[in-house]
Amino acid sequence: MTAAAQPLDTTQRERAAFAAVELARHPDRPRALAVIAGAFSDFTELHGDRLFGDDPAVVGGPARLGERWVMVVAQEKGVDADTRAMRNFGMPHPEGYRKAMRLMRLAERFHLPLVCLVDTPAAHPGVGAEERGQAWAIAASLAVMLELRVPTVAAVLSEGGSGGALALAMADRVLALENAIYTVAPPETCAAILYRDAAQKGRAAAAMRPGVDTAHLLGLVDELVPEPAPGAHAHRAVAIAGLRGALERHLDALQRVPIDDLLSTRRQRYRNADA
Amino acid sequence: MGRHRPGVGAGSTRGDAGRVTFGPSSPPVTAGLRARGGNGGGDAQRGMAQLPAPGPRLRPLAGPGAAECPGCGRRVASARWEAALRVCPLCGHHARVPAWARAVQLADDGTLEPLHWEVADRDPLGFDDGVPYPARVRAARSATGADEAVVVGRAELEGLPVVLASMEFGFLGGSLGSAAGEVFARGCELAVAERRALVSVCISGGARMQEGIAALAQMARCTAGTTQVAAAGLPYLSLLADPCFGGVTASFATQADVILAEPRARIGFAGGRVIEQATHQSLPEGFQTAEFLVDRGMIDCVVPRPELRATLGRLLRALSASRRHDGTQA
Repeated sequence: MTAAAQPLDTTQRERAAFAAVELARHPDRPRALAVIAGAFSDFTELHGDRLFGDDPAVVGGPARLGERWVMVVAQEKGVDADTRAMRNFGMPHPEGYRKAMRLMRLAERFHLPLVCLVDTPAAHPGVGAEERGQAWAIAASLAVMLELRVPTVAAVLSEGGSGGALALAMADRVLALENAIYTVAPPETCAAILYRDAAQKGRAAAAMRPGVDTAHLLGLVDELVPEPAPGAHAHRAVAIAGLRGALERHLDALQRVPIDDLLSTRRQRYRNADA
Repeated sequence: MGRHRPGVGAGSTRGDAGRVTFGPSSPPVTAGLRARGGNGGGDAQRGMAQLPAPGPRLRPLAGPGAAECPGCGRRVASARWEAALRVCPLCGHHARVPAWARAVQLADDGTLEPLHWEVADRDPLGFDDGVPYPARVRAARSATGADEAVVVGRAELEGLPVVLASMEFGFLGGSLGSAAGEVFARGCELAVAERRALVSVCISGGARMQEGIAALAQMARCTAGTTQVAAAGLPYLSLLADPCFGGVTASFATQADVILAEPRARIGFAGGRVIEQATHQSLPEGFQTAEFLVDRGMIDCVVPRPELRATLGRLLRALSASRRHDGTQA
């Protein structure tokens, strides 16, 4: 189909679809460290994958959520030009996923429930990431999350993009702030793959329906956490408080279930993913 | 997939344009396409919709009985081409092998039993980029003779029982969508139920964009499959062939106990073009090839195709040996 053959409302639809992507990418939305500071207490950041280095795009460590100790593992995008560059815009390298897995294992060893804050456009596409096994690290993280013997909750803050997001999101419960997106790949990448033109990101956004409501309909997200209008970027503290309440509620429910039951439910859920 | 192919007996499929049409209880396919002196019996062409059937050995190097090497562009007689497992005898290029042809290459003669499960096609987004997505799936199905981008069969490999999960690059770039993920997961469950090793041949561009977030979920579904195989103590060997990228490399392709790759196969997470655009980095020599990755410790070994069966067989024997202690081995 040529562009000329498309009716005008297609363009409007694409513009609206991409506006939703831009809302999810709003620079003032609450970032992972802000959520950790606002909703958790007694956080101690633990660094490094014990193999290669420390990836600033992934932060994590033990913290308290209310009275309960948990392990937090999060993708951090940064809040200004400097921190965004330092955090690589929340795009982890393999060492970030390997640090995440190390902390998951630590949580398992000491029976700490796992809370993952997902906030990445994608795993980093780069030479070093490929050399050090980006795909291997993500694949391993999927397997670790599926079999981790503690209750697990993940929350998508702004963007959950590609396997780079799923690596921290294969949890017992998956929440998402309601204006977030959760996609198989960023719309620009989808456009490059589908139409061989990254500039057709609006068309890709309209076709892919990246909003978390799609993932919710398909059962990959369990609950959409409401944001105060016009969005979490305008009222960060309110949005964080809402998320905290949802996290506590789900952890309360999960911690009442024997771990073997939790694991068989989790395995069944992902075995039948999207069915 | 949603439709059931009428079961066709082994005799009547001879010359059936290469379609593999057996149900689970049908007689096994006879393989004959190997370098080990197989003379390409009539049954051998099943599953080979892509290329002309192997003909007499001394066909002239031109015309319909020849294949053109994608590596050097020279023409090779079909019989010689197939006997060499589609490795160019002139330049050594490992040409891409369709899913069922690969399964025939790997299975012991006469042991491959293709499985055609009833798996529903999904179109969760109602995707249409000028051609509706379900029409693209149907076209891919008839062009390749594969039900989906992953096909599964029972077989024996050097005498050991295996489940073969083989990917079809001609099926929308070997992309991983809902139906393909379901087939792979069932293959894993079959391996567990029958205590067979799992052998996968991974050739894929990654997740199937046309299914959006549902395609991403397939990485989880396939992981649920491989973890069951691992938990059952069964070996899982994975072969990465050209190309293997994205959500396939980042899930079941690299969750194996042993990861093999074919010479010069391009393997990675993000494609080279995406990396150049995203980072403006220049790519090092040989970037993302099998050899590059074995040097960096990501792949166990690079195995030329003629040595593949022997290598897989040796590894399966090694990894199966310990089961003799607990008496579970048949």
